[in-house]
Parts: sequence; C-alpha cells; structure tokens
Amino acid sequence: MKDIGKRAIAALLLLVIGAVAVLFFRDENKSATRNLLAMDTYMELTAYGRNSEEAVEAAEKEIRRLEMLLSTGSDTSEVSIINREKTGVLSEDSAYLLQRSMEIWESTGGAFDITIYPIMRAWGFTEKAYQVPSDEELESLLAYVGMEKLTYEEETKTIRLSEHSEIDFGGIAKGYTSARIAQIMEEYGVKSAKLNLGGNVQTVGAKTDGSKWRIAVKSPDDSLPYLGIISIEDKAVITSGGYERYFEENGIRYHHIIDPKAGKPAQNGLVSVTIVCEDGTLADGLSTALYVLGKNEAIAYWRVHSDEFDVILYDDTGMLYVTEGLEDSFTSELAYEIVHAD
Amino acid sequence: MFKKKDIILMIVVLLLAGGMAFTMKLGQGQNGGMIRIMVDGKEYGTYPLMTNREIELENEFGYNRIVLENGVAIMKEADCPDQYCVEHMPISKTNETIVCLPHKLVVEVHTLEENGIDSVAQ
Repeated sequence: MKDIGKRAIAALLLLVIGAVAVLFFRDENKSATRNLLAMDTYMELTAYGRNSEEAVEAAEKEIRRLEMLLSTGSDTSEVSIINREKTGVLSEDSAYLLQRSMEIWESTGGAFDITIYPIMRAWGFTEKAYQVPSDEELESLLAYVGMEKLTYEEETKTIRLSEHSEIDFGGIAKGYTSARIAQIMEEYGVKSAKLNLGGNVQTVGAKTDGSKWRIAVKSPDDSLPYLGIISIEDKAVITSGGYERYFEENGIRYHHIIDPKAGKPAQNGLVSVTIVCEDGTLADGLSTALYVLGKNEAIAYWRVHSDEFDVILYDDTGMLYVTEGLEDSFTSELAYEIVHAD
Repeated sequence: MFKKKDIILMIVVLLLAGGMAFTMKLGQGQNGGMIRIMVDGKEYGTYPLMTNREIELENEFGYNRIVLENGVAIMKEADCPDQYCVEHMPISKTNETIVCLPHKLVVEVHTLEENGIDSVAQ
C-alpha cells in the first residue's frame, strides 16, 4: 500500500511536469486575434507568441487613441480643432504626420497633399453624400489647397492654416497606425504578427515557422481573385485603387483618389498601385501619390527612391509592372514586366 | 510485476492526461474570421464574421437571407422547399458550412491561410 502511494505521487508529479511543459509550449505557440471596426474600416490584428494577447490589447488601445486624435469626423479631434481654429499646437503624433506629409508632398511634386480636405468634402467623400461639384466651385476651393497654405514652427510645434484651408491625415493615418502597432508588437516581444487595417497590410517578422508571409494583392476587376502574391517579412503592403471607393452619376464613375492639382479624380491610366515598404507611413502616402502621378511618373519617382520601396502598378490596359526588388518575391498568374532601376 | 492497483492508477493518470489534452484542444478552437458565400460554385462575397449584418440573396435559384450576428452566421430565411439550411445551427468555426442545396448556396467559415495566403492588400 505504501509502495502504491509513492508510485501514485511519482505518477502525479510526472503528470504535473508534463502539463507545465505543455502549457509552456502552448504559450510560445499561442496566438491572439483582434477584429475591430475603427477609422471607417474593418481591422484584423493577429499576433503570435507569449505576450500576444497583451500586445493586441495594447494595439487596439493605440488604434482608438489615434482615431480620437486624427479623425476629421469627430468635432473634438485634434485635427478638427485645428481646422476650426486655424492654429494649434500639434501632439507628437500629428507633428510626426505633418512632417512626413510635407516630405511626401515635396518629393512627389504635390501629388500627395493633406490640404485636399475641402475638395474631398465638396465631392462628398467625407460624409458619404456624393455629388459632382461644379468647375467654378472646384476652382475656388483649389485656391485653399497646397502645403504653402500652412506654416509650421518646428520648435513650438505650432501650425497655422490660412483662412478656409483645412487638413486631413486620412491618406497617411492608417499606414502610420500600422507602423505604430508594429512598434507595439516589438515592445511586447511579439516576433510574429500580421495586421490588416482595412486592406493596409503590415507584417511583423516572419511567420512562426520561419517562412515569409504571403500577401495577396486584390484584383480591381472580377476576372482574377488576385493580381499576385508577395512573400515578405517585416514590411507593409499598401494598395490604392479607384475601385475602393467611388460613386456613379449619369453613368460616369467618380473615385476617391483626387488629383490635388485638378481637384478631380486622378485619371492617369493606373487602376491600382501597391507599395511594399518597411515604413507603413511612407507606403500609405506613396500609394496615393503614385496613383495620382500615373505610370510613367510613378516609375520615374521609384527610380530615384528605389532603395526606399518597391511598387506594383496595374494599368487600365491590363498591364502589370513590378519593380525589380520584388522580382524574387512576387508571383502572379498574369504576365508582368519587371521594371529596373537603370 | 504490476499490481492491479498500479494498473488502475495508470488508467486514471492516462484518463486525466487525455482529459487535459482534450480541454486544451477545445480551448484552441477559434473563430475562423471570415464568412464566404458561394453561389453555384462561384464566390458571391466574403464578409468578416465579427461585423453584424444581413446579406440578402435573390437570384435565379431563389431567395436566402443570411445574418451575421455576434460572431456567428445563421440562415434566417429561405424560400427553398426543404428548409434544411434554415434549420441548420449557427456556424462560427473554420470550415463549418451551411448548405442550401436547392439554391446552390454554400455559406462557409474560412480563414485565408487555407489557400496559402495570409492577408489581402486592397
């Protein structure tokens, strides 16, 4: 009987050790997913590893915080207050966004412009009350568009807008948010995560088995499910296309990517632009800017900045162009042309 | 060599271990994330399971109303003769399906990983 008691204890001990080992192992392989609606889109965050649950929790908080700060739809957001008062002191986040917006505005010759907001409103894209503004109206509104309509004092972080000018970080905010979440993941020791913020994809590290993430680029038409698949790690993949948001009036389709020079939907032959880049903020801004620029100017821009990003362009003749940095990581059922830097 | 009580003990331990493994497996059962609707073999649409919405389909095969609510999908209404789909329990786990055979309709919970894709940029 005594003997049995000992054996029973030994067996139970083994069981406990085994259970602890299994729990530990499971902890390493555990994952956490958070689905949420924020910034007008559906977001899906998946993190792997020990702190994944805490990390996605912190990520959601950060998304909510940035939404409150940057949303033009909320009267109390920092951006809305500045648009009303025409001046204000920027928070760290907005100051960073303004700086990055200025850089992209300058380097793309104004193809990306946060002062386009009054035009977006005239088209009804901000309130989803779509309408085609008259040429006269656009003409008068264009006078308020352009980064030269604002001044920024870096030391005091003070911004001043000229009368009637307004800003919106909408073209860059989601990319910045995904970059911020990637940072949070790292702070929590998460080595593997995929984030999809309404179609803006950001990956952290590689998959848990060490292989690269496979990110599909949606096809703008129904002929194919995807334009292609990119294998990446630690990068953002952000696509802009006129097919994402648009309305039709009298048989004409008007999409939401407005050319800041014309005040009208960009019509430069591109249907979809995908940026692959380590920096989500840059990827977001450039996906819009290169769409506005059109194929030739987009490729010319990439040639100067080829160390910063890669790009996939799909034009209205069905041609697909892929820059050389993606040569080994892009696959597609479509024929495509590799664009070289020289 | 083994006494009867030893064997009983071993069985008890094995049962305990099996029970634990089962509970863990249960704990891992996750919601698949997306609902894919297929009509006559073609994808009609894919929707996040977590959003509450109604999807009404009216086509040459008939009428179906699918409701996504609190992380599950359910067939609320259909004008098919057999009504099997309407009687089907709500689905939420990867690969669970509701099929409305007369209307050639499949409602399926899926994760993108199934076809080797981790996420879609759009």
